[in-house]
Amino acid sequence: MDIKAYLPEAIKKIPTHMDFVGQKKAEKMFQMIIISFAVVGFIWGYICQQFSQTMYILITGFVISCLLTLPPWSMFRKNPLSWQKARPEAEEIGSTTTSASAQKSKKKK
Amino acid sequence: MNTALSRLNTIFAFTLSVMAGLTFLCFLSTFFNEHKADVAINTGKVIVKNVPDYSAGREKNDLGFVVFDLQTDILFLDCPWLLTTFLPQGIFNWNVKQLFLYLFAEYETEDHKLNQVVIWDKIIKRGENSVLDYKKANTKYYFWDFGNGLRSNKNVTLSLSWNVIPNAGTLPKIQGVGQHKIEFPSEYSPNRFQ
Repeated sequence: MDIKAYLPEAIKKIPTHMDFVGQKKAEKMFQMIIISFAVVGFIWGYICQQFSQTMYILITGFVISCLLTLPPWSMFRKNPLSWQKARPEAEEIGSTTTSASAQKSKKKK
Repeated sequence: MNTALSRLNTIFAFTLSVMAGLTFLCFLSTFFNEHKADVAINTGKVIVKNVPDYSAGREKNDLGFVVFDLQTDILFLDCPWLLTTFLPQGIFNWNVKQLFLYLFAEYETEDHKLNQVVIWDKIIKRGENSVLDYKKANTKYYFWDFGNGLRSNKNVTLSLSWNVIPNAGTLPKIQGVGQHKIEFPSEYSPNRFQ
């Protein structure tokens, strides 16, 4: 069912995540961009007395911050989480499944 | 913030908030403007007729005819240094979309304390010429009186008012500075003359 299984290897390798530090960075980044465009737009709109200019400049800021922070660029993936090493698998899987099934059977009773 | 969609949502919501803030600031920046302007009104020929208004009934009402001159320059830029340094003449401030101007007559009759009749109006949109100079203009709407109060009425005041339609904020109604008093003749004009 999962579409991932049918995708070619090259596409599967494209990173889709941001790490936590990257997410914080991205949020700060778009806030800074949009607010600075808003300030510039306000000043420019006041100078030429056209509120539409202010809106266009703000929308430009929106588009730029979308381009910079929507895709998970590599600058947002510099602090990956260090996971613990995977434990040896075979027995673990066996034990967990048995315990889970035991719990389920208890619930049924 | 962990997927592109949730980031898009956050950025969009943030942009909308900033937009609302900017709009409010725009409203604040023009809130204390007075929007006043001088108006010069003059009239040429003034006559009154007594004719039936068939749209209302069969009895005869007074119908005034006025030919007027009107000069005004409605500029809503209350910021002189901007005007002299950057901007061309004759533009609105950034919180004005359009103006609705109307010329109205105000008078008192025996039956009614206050009568107001709009006899002419005009819409000026942003970017259009806001310097008005009319000579011998005819009224746009009929100057009907509600009865027979116009003949030999010596105190009919013409004034120009306007609504300011803003981008954000209040919808002020402003009366121009400068009125003109007209006196209707004490004889009805015969119907065959316009």
